[in-house]
Amino acid sequence: MRQPSVIARRVAAASVSLVVAAGAAACGPEDNDAKAAGNDSTPHKGGTLTVLNSNPQQDFDPARLYTSGGGNIPSLVFRTLTTRNRENGEAGAQVVPDLATDTGRPNKDATVWTFTLKEGLKYEDGTEITSADVKYGIERSFAPELSGGAPYLRDWLVGAAGYQGPYKDKKGLSAIETPDARTIVFHLNKPEGEFPYLATQTQFTPVPKAKDTGTKYEQHPVSSGPYKVVSNENDGERLVLERNPHWSAATDAERKAYPDRIDVRSGLDSSVINQRLSASQGADAAAVTTDTNLGPAELAKVSGDKELAARVGTGHFGYTNYIAFNPKVKPFDDPKVRQAISYALDRSSVVNAAGGSALAEPATTFLPDQKSFGHTPYDHFPGGASGDPAKARELLKEAGHGDGLTVTLTHSNAKDFETSPEIATAIQDALKKAGITVRLQGLEDNDYSDKIHNVKTEPGFFLAHWGADWPSGGPFLAPIFDGRQIVKDGANFNNGLLDDASVNAEIDAINKLTDLDAAAKRWGALDSKIGEKALTVPLFHPVYKRLYGKDVKNVVISDWTGVLDVSQVAVK
Amino acid sequence: MSEAVLAVETPGADAPGVSGARQFWRRLRTRRAALVAASVVALLVLVALTAPLLTALEGQDPTTYHPSLVDSARGGVPVGSFGGIGADHWLGVEPQTGRDLFARLVYGARVSLGVALAATVVQLVLGVAVGLAAGLGNRWVDQLLTRVADIFVAMPLMIVALALLAVVPTSFPRPVLVALVVGLVSGWATLAKLVRAQTLTLKEADYVAAARLSGWGTLRIARRELLPGLAAPVITFAAILVPTNISVEAALSFLGVGVRPPTPSWGQMLTSANVWYQAAPQYLLLPAGALFVTVLALTVLGDGVRTALDPRAASRLRVGTGRKGGRS
Repeated sequence: MRQPSVIARRVAAASVSLVVAAGAAACGPEDNDAKAAGNDSTPHKGGTLTVLNSNPQQDFDPARLYTSGGGNIPSLVFRTLTTRNRENGEAGAQVVPDLATDTGRPNKDATVWTFTLKEGLKYEDGTEITSADVKYGIERSFAPELSGGAPYLRDWLVGAAGYQGPYKDKKGLSAIETPDARTIVFHLNKPEGEFPYLATQTQFTPVPKAKDTGTKYEQHPVSSGPYKVVSNENDGERLVLERNPHWSAATDAERKAYPDRIDVRSGLDSSVINQRLSASQGADAAAVTTDTNLGPAELAKVSGDKELAARVGTGHFGYTNYIAFNPKVKPFDDPKVRQAISYALDRSSVVNAAGGSALAEPATTFLPDQKSFGHTPYDHFPGGASGDPAKARELLKEAGHGDGLTVTLTHSNAKDFETSPEIATAIQDALKKAGITVRLQGLEDNDYSDKIHNVKTEPGFFLAHWGADWPSGGPFLAPIFDGRQIVKDGANFNNGLLDDASVNAEIDAINKLTDLDAAAKRWGALDSKIGEKALTVPLFHPVYKRLYGKDVKNVVISDWTGVLDVSQVAVK
Repeated sequence: MSEAVLAVETPGADAPGVSGARQFWRRLRTRRAALVAASVVALLVLVALTAPLLTALEGQDPTTYHPSLVDSARGGVPVGSFGGIGADHWLGVEPQTGRDLFARLVYGARVSLGVALAATVVQLVLGVAVGLAAGLGNRWVDQLLTRVADIFVAMPLMIVALALLAVVPTSFPRPVLVALVVGLVSGWATLAKLVRAQTLTLKEADYVAAARLSGWGTLRIARRELLPGLAAPVITFAAILVPTNISVEAALSFLGVGVRPPTPSWGQMLTSANVWYQAAPQYLLLPAGALFVTVLALTVLGDGVRTALDPRAASRLRVGTGRKGGRS
């Protein structure tokens, strides 16, 4: 698979949070299992769920949304061939059928995928959903005026590279066949065992051709899910959804859809959102947020208040913050220098800078610490929790830097606790103990992003992060370490400019696997093998903590999204 | 610092000589508030100058992290009461990092005061030079310089400063840059207009005419005859500029374009502290308090200086029969 563009990836991260965004869970996935099973055996049906967000639900068109697992709020309106399992924790990182009867049937080398639609699927107007509508929905995502989605379909479907969408090209995509109203077949140009994950994205939503209004479709997309759009103001700033009477729970095992109405209000400041959720007054008692985490200071306040602490949902989204090296820049061409930095790093300082142990977990692996990614624990340069400056000095001496080393660390000036000055200064302080003087180069966020993703301007030593489009090792490792994905003129994500034949071959081999568990194990092993090269220093995996209102029940937070799933929430 | 306010204390042609300076000190001494303010300012300057000594005395430095002094599980709030205040950390530690707040505060004073004073020097030099040139130059020079000054008076300081600070490469030493930007963009134009007006008045005085008749050149007249007469309004204006500049530096650092981490400045401390007002209030109160005390002291001192330099204002304040308005 290939990496999305810079913007696309950012959007991905954003939409992941939007999507995922749903909210907050009770006390962490572990507790939630018990909770979901126990306390909330009969969730209340009805009422209005308010969603308080900072980012609007822009471009609410299934062709244009860039989501992980179909998104959080989008998933209330758009059903897809497959979807994410709406369960707490690890189980929630699985892909399950949605419109289709299964997660797809591959041919022997995973280049042809066949799906069959369930029976009795209807749109909000009562008309039947057909496989041709799914095909049409995918085709219109190729139209230039409806851009925004992930690039996978264009890369993977046979003959899709130059396709301009159904408005210009009436013949459509020959790579997608619909032999009958309930069957759809995809022809891929290479083996892709993870195609079921891709089919969770909103581009796999059926769109009735007769109702397609082009760029205006986002005002009122025809719902296939439990809710339909009642109003959409200012491009998703306020989105009101109401129950879709033609949606049938019998065909949908995933969405619970307890409330009658969903009121999404965006454009709010994050501190206002957290303030309102903690006050939980009036309509805010039945409110959640799908995109706003608690910050360190807010967490400090919340954790001292039992009532508030009980209303915090904890989630893990597959994401890694790391130090990237460009081995083309001296002195980082020397593995010993890179290893010395790995040893010297004080992860406890970095974790504190990111918000403390409740908001970040120290990382020694590039892959997120989740089973679905194939996480295989390793720590090739063990410096312990607070670093091993002595070992680092030893390595530096061997590398000919016995009397110290001065390097420049590039970071962004965004206030995100990820690639921000707080993290950079923590690293600066830790490396000082190993005799490494770190100069900080803080760049404005856009400038920073342009620089680090361009092979010509890529700095030698910088802060980076990566999140996958779905919870698997493929979209996590391939864009960063596949040598054929080095982009010479354009957005490049292979920071280490690694082009290793054995790594490339293993990536190809794993993509052929359709047994996702077997694939996960091999991604984990590959991660460990790449880790020995010390091209990155994993720093931490973020943890999401989000508040929800007093009357919010049935909180489910999967490891796929890390945030409360709005399709599961009940309000009193 | 509008011109109207300043016009009151332009003391005409009675240029303070040696006896004028003595008179000034005598008047200033009688104003208790000004004296207290002067001592506070002196103390702050002393603290800034001796920051390395003071932190050495405490046994800390402004950049070392102390992860063990913050509660990682609670967002990094300092361990212990009142933000971790104790014998080792006199004012507690910074949330998330555990850096010593006393050290950061006194080192922050260096940046905040240093940048403000440097910017003031730039403003004074530029303002006096442009004002004198406009007042003494021919019609064209006067017109041109006055218009340029008008443009700078109209310029929105924060926006221009933000833009300038964003485009200059990061390799340029940041505190110097901030001082330059603040000095070059703000303050000097108002001063230049003031100096020009005063110069035009002084130019007509008999002693200046006498000097000209005896064949002195313009530069010599400016230096020997005009500058002493300008001293009072310029000093008064400077006393108002310093606290303004401190606030501007704090605001720029607050907006993230001031000094760069890990260098502490009060504005930068306020930025990172503002979200902590509930969980760790002392973190916010320290830089805010320091800023408040400094600006207040400088303002009171400035007011004292103004009054001491202007006998009319002084007598008006005392007797309550002050005349309104002034010349300009």
